[in-house]
Amino acid sequence: MATSLSSSISMQARVSATTTRFCLHKPTSIFNNGKANLSFTLQRPIPARLAISCAVKQETVEKVSEIVKKQLSLAEDQKVTAGTKFTELGADSLDTVEIVMGLEEEFGITMAEERAKEIATVQHAAELIEELIQQKTA
Amino acid sequence: MRISVMSQMQRSFSIDLPSLIPLQLPSHEVKSTSLLKRYSQLLSPIEKDGVDQMRGDELKKNALLARTLVRTTISRYQTNKEVDPRSLMFKKNVYGKPEVDWQNCNNQPLHFNISHTDSLIACGVTVHVPVGIDVEDKERKIKHDVLAFAKRFYSADEVNVLATILDPEVQRKEFIKLWTLKEAYVKALGKGFSAAPFNTFTIQSMPGTEGAYNLCKTSEVTADPPEETKKCNGGWKFALFDLADSHYAAVCTEDDQANEGAPTKIIVRKTIPFVEDQLISERIFL
Repeated sequence: MATSLSSSISMQARVSATTTRFCLHKPTSIFNNGKANLSFTLQRPIPARLAISCAVKQETVEKVSEIVKKQLSLAEDQKVTAGTKFTELGADSLDTVEIVMGLEEEFGITMAEERAKEIATVQHAAELIEELIQQKTA
Repeated sequence: MRISVMSQMQRSFSIDLPSLIPLQLPSHEVKSTSLLKRYSQLLSPIEKDGVDQMRGDELKKNALLARTLVRTTISRYQTNKEVDPRSLMFKKNVYGKPEVDWQNCNNQPLHFNISHTDSLIACGVTVHVPVGIDVEDKERKIKHDVLAFAKRFYSADEVNVLATILDPEVQRKEFIKLWTLKEAYVKALGKGFSAAPFNTFTIQSMPGTEGAYNLCKTSEVTADPPEETKKCNGGWKFALFDLADSHYAAVCTEDDQANEGAPTKIIVRKTIPFVEDQLISERIFL
């Protein structure tokens, strides 16, 4: 039985032949009786991201958290975890773009603007960073 | 100093219906616990969850004020009857842009958009045409080099304009003005960030006008050397405000094809829901 997913799941068409990592943003159950069964209805060709849960390095999460705290001028003891949403910390779109610039500098990568602006959590950023680093070294 | 402002926008003079525009709430002026409690009674359970998720009391309060502003503003400007702000329902369009879910009444003409900073929340309402609004603190410090930021994200023409500004303060302010205008456009468009990446369009000020801007879309024609063609049609109207000397507010509306080129009236009001309401300005943009 197909499980319909909430709006946090989307699919992205990949044209490159490099290994693609998928990471789930909301680990709600998408498996039914041990069978993975996904069904999507795309009403129109919207670029989307498909994400399935994966592990990112703790080190990446920590570096991202540091940069986020710096950009938003948060206290050192402000709790920022992988699941923390930028908006919960008071970040607006200008903050998000500045965070992305900070991440690009720190990790030596370049993010496409559309993907950069869609980053919602620390985990999300870490996944994208590791994916880009992998693509770079592939 | 924090201010709250609301603006009204009329699509054309022939329409008597008042259109509301951004209401801005001065967060620091709203301290009363009973007033905040009254506000929270307007919110839906989902909105209340959203408020609770914010980290810290100030952020929670701002989130509460934002939803209050949206609900009270829209309900004020109903065309047929008085609407209880609590009764409004919201949904998102297919791209995630928030809209009113009018339920039984089809094709209501009211559109809205909201933007907030730490100290000011703006809600814009229009009749018949989509609207986008963005506000920024004029003193907002950009942590990166402004020109490097622009080169990374803005269009080539915009970078050129910024590069000619020698005073770093003036340059930073121009950068922020451009940011609000570009954000307002993307929000008015309502198709998500990928529909209009910042470097694919230029917003330029219209010579001889104050606060009026034009949109030019760039499309690259692959050639060697690569050529760019620019389309500076109408289709979208912009207005930039300087609010109480503390904030820039950019408003973008779709040019109504039936009344293309008709002047736009923008009314700005400052408000604290249930407490006060004050006319700030009324301007006509050609």
